[in-house]
Amino acid sequence: MTAHGATARRRVRNRALWFWTFVGPFAVGLGLFTYVPLLWSVALSFFDAHNTVTPTDFVGLDNYTALLSDDAFVDSLRTFLVFTAFIVPTTYVFSLALALMVNRVRRARAFFRSVFFLPAACSYVVAALIWKMSLFNGVRFGLANTVLGWFGGDPVAWLSGTDPPWYWLVIVTVRLWLQTGFYMILFLAGLQRIDPGLYEAAAVDGARPGRQVLWHITLPQLRATSVAVVLLLVINAFQAFDEFYNLLSDTRGYPPYARPPLVYLYYLALGQGQNLGLGSAGAVILSLVVVVVTVGQARWFGLGGREE
Amino acid sequence: MTISRRTLLAAGPAAGLLTACGSDTGRGDDAGAGPRLSQWYHQYGETGTEQAVERYAAAYPKAKVGVQWRPGNYDQQTAAALLTDSGPDVFEGSPTLDQIQGGQVVDLTDLLDGVRDDFHPAALTPKTYAGRIWGIPQVIDTQLLYYRKSLLSDAGVRPPDTLDALVDAAARLTTKKVKGLFLGNDGGAGVLGGTPLYAAGLRLVTDDGKVGFDDPAAARTLARLHRLYAGGSLLLGAPADWSDPSAFLQGLTAMQWSGLWALPRVQQELGDDFGVLPFPGDGPGAAAVPVGAYGAAVSARSRHRDTAKDFVKWLWIERTDYQEDFALSYGFHIPARISLAKKADRLKTGAAADAVRLTTEHGYAQPLLWTPADQTAYQDALSRIIRGGANPESELRAVVRKVSAELDRVRRKS
Amino acid sequence: MEDAVVRVGRALRLVLLVVLALLFLVPFYLLVRNGLSSERDVTAPEWAFFPSELRWANVQELFDDPSVPFARSLLNSALIAVATTAGTLLLASLAGYGLARVPYRHANKVFYAVLGTLVVPAAVTFVPSFVLVSSLGWISTYRGLIVPTLFPAFACFVFRQYFLGFPTELEDAAQVDGLGYWRTYWLIVVPNARPVFAAVGTIVFIGAWNSFLWPLVIGQDRDAWTVQVALSSFTTSQVVRVHELFVAAAVSILPLLAVFLCFQRWLVAGVERSGID
Repeated sequence: MTAHGATARRRVRNRALWFWTFVGPFAVGLGLFTYVPLLWSVALSFFDAHNTVTPTDFVGLDNYTALLSDDAFVDSLRTFLVFTAFIVPTTYVFSLALALMVNRVRRARAFFRSVFFLPAACSYVVAALIWKMSLFNGVRFGLANTVLGWFGGDPVAWLSGTDPPWYWLVIVTVRLWLQTGFYMILFLAGLQRIDPGLYEAAAVDGARPGRQVLWHITLPQLRATSVAVVLLLVINAFQAFDEFYNLLSDTRGYPPYARPPLVYLYYLALGQGQNLGLGSAGAVILSLVVVVVTVGQARWFGLGGREE
Repeated sequence: MTISRRTLLAAGPAAGLLTACGSDTGRGDDAGAGPRLSQWYHQYGETGTEQAVERYAAAYPKAKVGVQWRPGNYDQQTAAALLTDSGPDVFEGSPTLDQIQGGQVVDLTDLLDGVRDDFHPAALTPKTYAGRIWGIPQVIDTQLLYYRKSLLSDAGVRPPDTLDALVDAAARLTTKKVKGLFLGNDGGAGVLGGTPLYAAGLRLVTDDGKVGFDDPAAARTLARLHRLYAGGSLLLGAPADWSDPSAFLQGLTAMQWSGLWALPRVQQELGDDFGVLPFPGDGPGAAAVPVGAYGAAVSARSRHRDTAKDFVKWLWIERTDYQEDFALSYGFHIPARISLAKKADRLKTGAAADAVRLTTEHGYAQPLLWTPADQTAYQDALSRIIRGGANPESELRAVVRKVSAELDRVRRKS
Repeated sequence: MEDAVVRVGRALRLVLLVVLALLFLVPFYLLVRNGLSSERDVTAPEWAFFPSELRWANVQELFDDPSVPFARSLLNSALIAVATTAGTLLLASLAGYGLARVPYRHANKVFYAVLGTLVVPAAVTFVPSFVLVSSLGWISTYRGLIVPTLFPAFACFVFRQYFLGFPTELEDAAQVDGLGYWRTYWLIVVPNARPVFAAVGTIVFIGAWNSFLWPLVIGQDRDAWTVQVALSSFTTSQVVRVHELFVAAAVSILPLLAVFLCFQRWLVAGVERSGID
């Protein structure tokens, strides 16, 4: 055992100590308040746990097979795969475009940033309230129908009709309004970290401002931010609950369309009727789908991998 | 109380976390007059109700009763709270089959000794399982079809007494500015639920625990609802949903399905220019009026079960004066006790009297065996039939399959 | 020629931004319009851009309403949101920095363990969490309302991503100067990472302010209601009090706007300093 080896070992031990000094408090809290309930839920998914969190009736994979053979659940998963495939790129592009524009605008930059970010301060409940009761209500004095009326259109029952499915317009607009600002801020924070020297060097090399700079400097430099944004967007899309629930449910239930998996599980198993085993199984399935989709898109875009 | 004014004031932004974390939960056994009970109500929309229930609670001599007034999704909150020791001792609600089978609520049968026959059967049946009573009905709420007399007579339409007549009336009452009928913003799938089946002479679940609508008549009746939707005579997307009479009062619709609770407001704004009807019968069926009743129940996790039971008996069986006050002084409900309903002056004339009569004659309550899973499957089908024009027969076949499986499950447990 | 193209592009961009900004403001306008209308105007059968009279009394009535402890609920929300934000920023930034910078054999495993919780919907761990917190005796306490929410994986994740992209020169210099990880973090990293603190802090604050289901079931006593719980009490199973609901919603987002405008300065500083244009 050489002195050199001892120092190295001490340094390694030291680093472990430092690591846990930084990460420990968060990890402990996460363990207690997230992992304990999480593992508890996973355990419940193998039991018949009607109205109990300490079940005794082990049923193996019954809850899983029940859900996977439930057309309504599979249908909501399928709907939300499609929804995710649409809303993630849309929100990504929209918020990046806003960030780039706001970042480059010379006048009233703070004003624009504020305006686009302000909706993020609204709760989903408040936004759903505005959309459902004022903007897109189905009677002739709603704002959207009033505007339609100016052009001679008949009032549309935005959230009530199924053919054509106008409710998607309502859902997508409320989501974009609520979320774009948040991701725009993340992009802005990312943009400001890009070394201005890179742009100067590019200009010297004769790169045209605009698309070339965007593709070869801005986007690659934003990769870490993009990873975060896409991941959060995907998870958000699959875990959609609040705005859907507030827009489309009434006191008696939720229509069988545009129904996020979580909303379906809520009515089936996690609301008044507490079939906690079934609900937990649904959550596990949903989480696995999110993992598969996230890893899949990371491969596809070459994002996930090693960031360093 | 738990977060007192004092801890709050002491809690400046910096010191706040520590101070507040030091306060304790103060639930349970303070010294003083007997034990402490926690009683939960869902939030009633009518002003004065909360003050009233607090007055009743304060008048109970044997324990200190703290009232919790719960906004938001009440049934989910009670379901979650019943899993813990910090839930209510006494709560209003409809104990579900799984809650009863899981032993989460206390058997209250003996409280009803001698007065059982005085409770409206439609209110008591859904609180009864295996011959035992699990909740004492507080009041009866019903839903009815409100119609504007003047609009109907202008259009030469008689108050509809069959489902076909309703479809026809809704179409004839629809003009450019006024729709014929409002069944909720989803076209009726949510609020109607099993009502059309009962109007067709069927049941959700039969008395012997079988699927009650495995019958071609069910598909025929539900198909008529699609005609309402497809004909464009339904109001859709109103700012306030069916439970609020605003759409009816604002003249957006000539007829609206809404709750009995809306009656005072309708009366105030429209005077005599309205009437109430049951959901009209179809084919061999008579009309149907859905009846709901929250009952007072006792949590099995209560540390003071006997006191809690005694309190329930005191309030919901002995104190008829409070029961009458609760039913009729704030909102508008039918007392669950037949003797009280007969006595009440407010229920003796006009539309209110009609409502009571219709409830007595046509009232039905959702059976206890009808679980949330059944409800979800059935409502999905109903929504697809009404709005999507899906084939009622195949939709109902799938529902019948799911419901029988669920009925098998709950039977196995008993 | 080139200049003209650039100028036209710039003008177009400005026009586009203005149009988008107006669209983004429409819902706020509706919120205020409905909140300051009388019930009759809100539900008037013909659309009007402005109510026949602005009823400022609505605000007064909101605070005077004996059935809803609105002022108290605002105070509760403020306290909870401030404590949650401070706690989360501290814990999550430390964790994010440790994960990004301290070389440790199992750092990646820990990171994936944190990241993994992101994919699990909170709605489903809700009941076990509730039972857990209840068995700690934390129902209707600030503890129960605050502590379990201090560990959002997303905050840790965003901090880690940010610190990964942070130029290492400054820290290397600090290490050479003999500062350990701890002092490097506080003296060098934190002062230079304001934008991400501002961004995450804003988001956490907004999340805490707008959170509904957790405060609803944990804050069972009326004294522990947050503003979102108070807000929900305007919609009952019987009636919707439309104009009250809107005025309460409008008032409930005002504190957030104030907070945002404060943090804005830091965000601006961060963005301006980069000198990109």
